[in-house]
Amino acid sequence: MNASRFDLWLGLPLAAIALLLPFTGPSDFMLNLATLVMIWAIFAIGFDFVFGLLGMVSFGHASFLGLGGYALALATQLWGLPFCAGVCLAIAAGALCAWLFSFFALVTLALSQLLYILADSKLRAWTGGADGLPGVARPGLGGIDFFDSTLFYWYVLAVFVLVMAAVVMLRRSPFGRVIAGIRQNETRAEQLGFDVHRYKQITFIVSGGISGLAGALLASLLMYVNPQMLHWTTSGDVIIMTLLGGAGTLWGPVIGVLAFEVLKEWLSGWTQYWYGILGLIFILATLFFPKGIVGELQERYGQWRDKAARRDGRIS
Amino acid sequence: MSTLIIGLSLGMLLFLLASGLTLIFGMLGVINFAHGALYMLGAYIAFDIGRHTGSFVAGLIGATVLVALAGALIERLALRPLYDRPHFYQLILTFGVILVISEVVKVVWGLGYQESTMPPALAGTVDMFGSTIPVYRLFVIGFGALVSGGLFLLIEKSTFGMLVRAASSDGEMVRLLGLPVASVRMAVFALGSGLAGLAGLAGAIAAPLFPIELGMATNTIIDCFIVVILGGLGNIRGAVAASLLIGLVRAIGYSYMPSWVDILTFSLLIATLLTRPQGLFFRATRSA
Repeated sequence: MNASRFDLWLGLPLAAIALLLPFTGPSDFMLNLATLVMIWAIFAIGFDFVFGLLGMVSFGHASFLGLGGYALALATQLWGLPFCAGVCLAIAAGALCAWLFSFFALVTLALSQLLYILADSKLRAWTGGADGLPGVARPGLGGIDFFDSTLFYWYVLAVFVLVMAAVVMLRRSPFGRVIAGIRQNETRAEQLGFDVHRYKQITFIVSGGISGLAGALLASLLMYVNPQMLHWTTSGDVIIMTLLGGAGTLWGPVIGVLAFEVLKEWLSGWTQYWYGILGLIFILATLFFPKGIVGELQERYGQWRDKAARRDGRIS
Repeated sequence: MSTLIIGLSLGMLLFLLASGLTLIFGMLGVINFAHGALYMLGAYIAFDIGRHTGSFVAGLIGATVLVALAGALIERLALRPLYDRPHFYQLILTFGVILVISEVVKVVWGLGYQESTMPPALAGTVDMFGSTIPVYRLFVIGFGALVSGGLFLLIEKSTFGMLVRAASSDGEMVRLLGLPVASVRMAVFALGSGLAGLAGLAGAIAAPLFPIELGMATNTIIDCFIVVILGGLGNIRGAVAASLLIGLVRAIGYSYMPSWVDILTFSLLIATLLTRPQGLFFRATRSA
């Protein structure tokens, strides 16, 4: 199976849509939705590093997202730092938090709920409590007005492409191979002399950093942060998205976010109880389509290629 | 003294909840996220039956049996196909179950808080040790002690318990001996869920203890996990001790520094994980 060609075939139409969307005269709502999907996709990609590549489930990723958001808000508002520095701080905050969490594999859920409670009440002076912090900055770059939805869309798209490129390189690097090896057989990886715990920790840190970046962008898009970003249901949402799309595949998290948001828009227009129906879809997907949309497609594609190869007589 | 009673009753309530969770984990290896949701379901059902029949006992039986049935259904339909897959599939599946149960509760009972009334027999107070103590709290303590004793006897002494323990240590072998392992697993899940429903009832009539609302599923499950981790995963004796510990910490916290209670319990959790990751009450022998 040629996975990278499959990824290319899947990526091309997505790239075309992303590039052409601003020229089709979309409404502000559409543009903001597309921007939101890309930001959540960055978050899901970061999450999938731990979930799909390493094969560990984390219920604490909302913390990295939320800390990223708060880091940007505080950096730009309280300390008057430029946007870029704020984003760097957000990545660092997400990574640092992930490093701390990596010592508590089992209870990331409890720890992340602790952060939620702290942000919601104890640290009110900093975080604005349950009301959150309004007025989070948009990027400032050579006098371009990023408060314009279209321009901000391009900004996020650029960041998204950079993240995607970095992820492709990481997955293909020796580091990525070791991670995949650990998922397949941890004992074997350890016996081969790899420091499994260290690799896991680094994966967590990378994942946290990407999530922190997504948090900063999300805060910037909404121009607002609140403790909901830290709440454990946010961690749950990203699990649903990644699993729906296909954990461990390159485009799975992206397609998953897209599917989640489309389903949400569609179902919430139809019934107020959309979250429960989504839960039902999620249960059915876990039971019958554990590979997710992209995982299933990839398998079909592989079978199709094998069949074609056999027909051409390249494989007997 | 009244702080002690509050702490003990809170601890017993937590134990009712956590015992189901730790039972399911110990015997099936499934971390059931939906446990809090089942607890919530129990509270709503008990509240509704109590309102319509006016009978406390009917609510007690109804909540326990119906939630146990719901648990059996979840195990049969959703979890059984997943036992062969990596553990996290079961974990995230139960997360989906939370969403569905929460939505069902929203559809049936709406979004608001529910007011429940205490049965008259338990509504009074008694004077003990120089302070006034609500009968209800004493009832919760006694009831919790009764259930924990019963659970202990069931798992440790009965034939059913022996079968459960055998199935958890080597399910394949027990199945080959011709015993119904699949049904045993379903029964354990139903039992654990029934305990959650029972706790829901205890919480429901103790509305001053915990309000019946949609957030109760998520708020409670975290406390439950803390108890289960402190007690040692799958360890019922540990769960008793850890529940009482957390209950007392909370009660003392509420009366002296109410805004620090959550931080206090979480710190206890973190300290435990750093020093005794296998739980405070871990013993090298087989856990019940």
